[in-house]
Amino acid sequence: MLLQPILISILAGAFILVAPKKIRKIVEGFSLATSIYLFLACIRIFIKSPINGGFLYVDGLSRFIVLGIGFFGALVTLYSLRFMASYTQFRSYYANIIWTIGLSMLAASSNNMIVLLTAWGFLGLTLYMLINVAGPNAANTSKKTFIIIGGSDSLMIMGFALVWLITGDLNLSNIKIVIDNSLSFWAFLLIAIGAFAKAGAMPFHTWIPDTAKEAPVPVTAFLPASLDKLLGIYLLARLVMNVFILNSSTQALLMAIGAITIVAAVMMALVQHDFKRLLGYHAVSQVGYMVLGLGTGNPIGIAGGLFHMLNNALYKTSLFLSGGNVQYKTKTSDLDSLGGLGKVMPISFFSALIAALAISGVPPLNGFFSKWMVYQGVIEKGKSGGVLWIFCLVAAMFGSGLTLASFIKFIHAIFLGKAKGERRAASDERRNEVSLSMWLPPLILAVLCIVFGIFASLIPLKYLIVPALADNLDFIGSWPSAKAALFLLIGLGVGLLVYLAGNFKGVRETDPYIGGEEVEEKMRLSGTEFYGTIKELPFIRAFYKKAEKKLFDIYEIAKKFIFVFIRIFQYLHNGVLPTYLVWCLLGIIVFLFVLVR
Amino acid sequence: MMKHLFNFIVFPGFLFTAAVGLVASWIDRKVTARVQWRVGPPWYQPLIDLVKLSIKEITVPRGAIKPVFFLAPLVGLSGVILASTFIWLPNIDLGATGFRGDIIVVLYLLTLPAIALILGASSSGNPLASVGLSREIKLVLAYELPFIIALTIPIIKSSGLLKLTDLVAYQTINGAFVSSISGVLAIIVAIFCMQAKLGLVPFDMGEAETEIMGGVLIEYSGMLLGIFKLTKTMMLVALPVFLSTVFWGGFSIWKYVVLLVIIVLMRNTNPRVRIDQAVRFFWGKMTAIAIIAAFLATLGM
Repeated sequence: MLLQPILISILAGAFILVAPKKIRKIVEGFSLATSIYLFLACIRIFIKSPINGGFLYVDGLSRFIVLGIGFFGALVTLYSLRFMASYTQFRSYYANIIWTIGLSMLAASSNNMIVLLTAWGFLGLTLYMLINVAGPNAANTSKKTFIIIGGSDSLMIMGFALVWLITGDLNLSNIKIVIDNSLSFWAFLLIAIGAFAKAGAMPFHTWIPDTAKEAPVPVTAFLPASLDKLLGIYLLARLVMNVFILNSSTQALLMAIGAITIVAAVMMALVQHDFKRLLGYHAVSQVGYMVLGLGTGNPIGIAGGLFHMLNNALYKTSLFLSGGNVQYKTKTSDLDSLGGLGKVMPISFFSALIAALAISGVPPLNGFFSKWMVYQGVIEKGKSGGVLWIFCLVAAMFGSGLTLASFIKFIHAIFLGKAKGERRAASDERRNEVSLSMWLPPLILAVLCIVFGIFASLIPLKYLIVPALADNLDFIGSWPSAKAALFLLIGLGVGLLVYLAGNFKGVRETDPYIGGEEVEEKMRLSGTEFYGTIKELPFIRAFYKKAEKKLFDIYEIAKKFIFVFIRIFQYLHNGVLPTYLVWCLLGIIVFLFVLVR
Repeated sequence: MMKHLFNFIVFPGFLFTAAVGLVASWIDRKVTARVQWRVGPPWYQPLIDLVKLSIKEITVPRGAIKPVFFLAPLVGLSGVILASTFIWLPNIDLGATGFRGDIIVVLYLLTLPAIALILGASSSGNPLASVGLSREIKLVLAYELPFIIALTIPIIKSSGLLKLTDLVAYQTINGAFVSSISGVLAIIVAIFCMQAKLGLVPFDMGEAETEIMGGVLIEYSGMLLGIFKLTKTMMLVALPVFLSTVFWGGFSIWKYVVLLVIIVLMRNTNPRVRIDQAVRFFWGKMTAIAIIAAFLATLGM
């Protein structure tokens, strides 16, 4: 039952890849049908779990991951039908999407380390192929991604080898390692690096903003924004909850990584001029909350981290897809030249606004609820002493403020505000929404953001998160989400009454008032320069300068390091035949000397 | 449920807070007038101003995103009503259950008015509103950091209590947090942040009437403007009460008056600062003091 949908996905992907190019419509329809079939299979697995089938098993933790994989797979395939219509490599695209869904299901449900590693490795490959769909411009990005993911995969293999060395067992469900010596610590850390690179925690995050910029939007929405988060954090949660028993210094390490990721990534997001890169940095920053939550090691923190993973997948995918709609209509992702699209694309605007408020943690949306749980986990952890938790708490809460700031910029520059002159004339400010298959997926996700926020403890926590935990949840704080949401609505009603109590005779349209002057084109404030003041602060300016030089990019650092070695070999490989012959002769002499002696 | 509804709309939520706020803003205006050697308005002036706004015509700038423009004031008001209900409840009825907030929830709800104001300004499409909102959001960023650190001090000192009721109960047993050095430092930081949250001089650069003609509020008129003013009036109650609840052992009238006098004096004795000065002030001095306070709190001082 577990294996069947995975095998079907592999066969279907292979069929799509070899199908003739002429039957494009059939290929698209077939891909959508397959993805919907996989989603249904995921629902079935979710309902039937726990399932134990030897190498594969689905328990409380992996069952909602599998459900999420199927859900996002179907949604993104639906979205792709229109968005990818202009791409020529559609066969490779759909084949890899279908394969990714199947392989992700395999990775999430595998109990055997070898099976997990195999699925994980192939996922890196499909990601590489998917980025390459964008054409030759994306070659550098896909190479970088492949190297970071592949490199961390190899570290992960070493980590699992260490686990095997310690326990002699390959089944994850049998393993329980207490981290009390350096060997078990390294085993944990090496596997965790694999999870970090997949999810995009610092310092293995640098592939995400680049991918977000270069790859087609559905690819970014599907992999770095939703699926890779689900898988990476799933693996980390598996390690933290079942496979390892963490000691306090390992937990502190995770918490510190989480807190630094939140703040550093969001500071980078604040100054981006391209909305896809901006969203990419947020895809990194949000991982921080998840890692922080898992690092606390108490039920509320872990539940918060997992819930945040789910919420992040919802609103981040919604943001990327609505951003994709904007790009589809305007053919640009440059914040400087957009603006005023709220009128033109009301549905995309609504989805993006809800998702943006959710990611900024505005109550009563889902992002607030899961962040609130993570904070409580941190405070709970603080009861055992130390000062690190204060730093983490402040970083996480302030990071939320910075997120809000950069999404104010996002919303202002794209949907509110004013468009550039020539674009304003072209768009005519009439309603011009994208087609149903493109506005529906982000809208579904935005509605889910609202539902998951208001009914957090009734629906997602009860059915998805709590079954994954061994313990019950104890909230330190108090946030009656459903009741509060109802009262916020009543508050809107009260406001409306106050409003209507006035002398309401309808409204009159006027020109924008700027002291009697005409509004000129040069007065437009696009929003990208909102944070210039902050960028110029002494300490922060140094940070941005270093970041621009890519001093924090592990890929660039490793590249420099490796090039030093390569230069030595380059020196030897000078292409002059006599030199090579001399080397051969010297080698033979050494050989003879060793053998004869 | 009916009790909650009563709490929300009449006492201590909407009507009560609004009434107290109108009185407080009259005190503010009267004291300001006396400082400037004027007579000052009669006590009902703030209410009349509101009524006056309600009969004025509402105008919308051409090209504004209307749903956002109209909804923004209402969202801000709704947020501040819920926040003030959460803040008042532990001060009037410690035992009741079911409809409670904690520090984090209140902190987030208190940013709703600012978000609403910013989105409303952004939707108007006015360049001066854009200037105002860019200052406003930077100001939010600026005060949020020291404010968060200051708010961790009650959590540290009570070793992990978060609900407002728990904090009030803890302070009635163990003495208010301000009776320690870290508590004093924290409330000083929080008072400055409160001034910025209220958007009063010296931190009113988002509106700056003499410079950008109201900035974020420039396009708002009639009752929409009235609702924004009402929200601000209610904040003038909610914030001092919040501060006295979490730092000062719960609300009482004289504590509120003291905080109000500080607000009024600060606003009358300072010129408006530039936004970069404000950011430097909050991220520099204020954050440093807050960190020292947090450090002292971990040492139990």
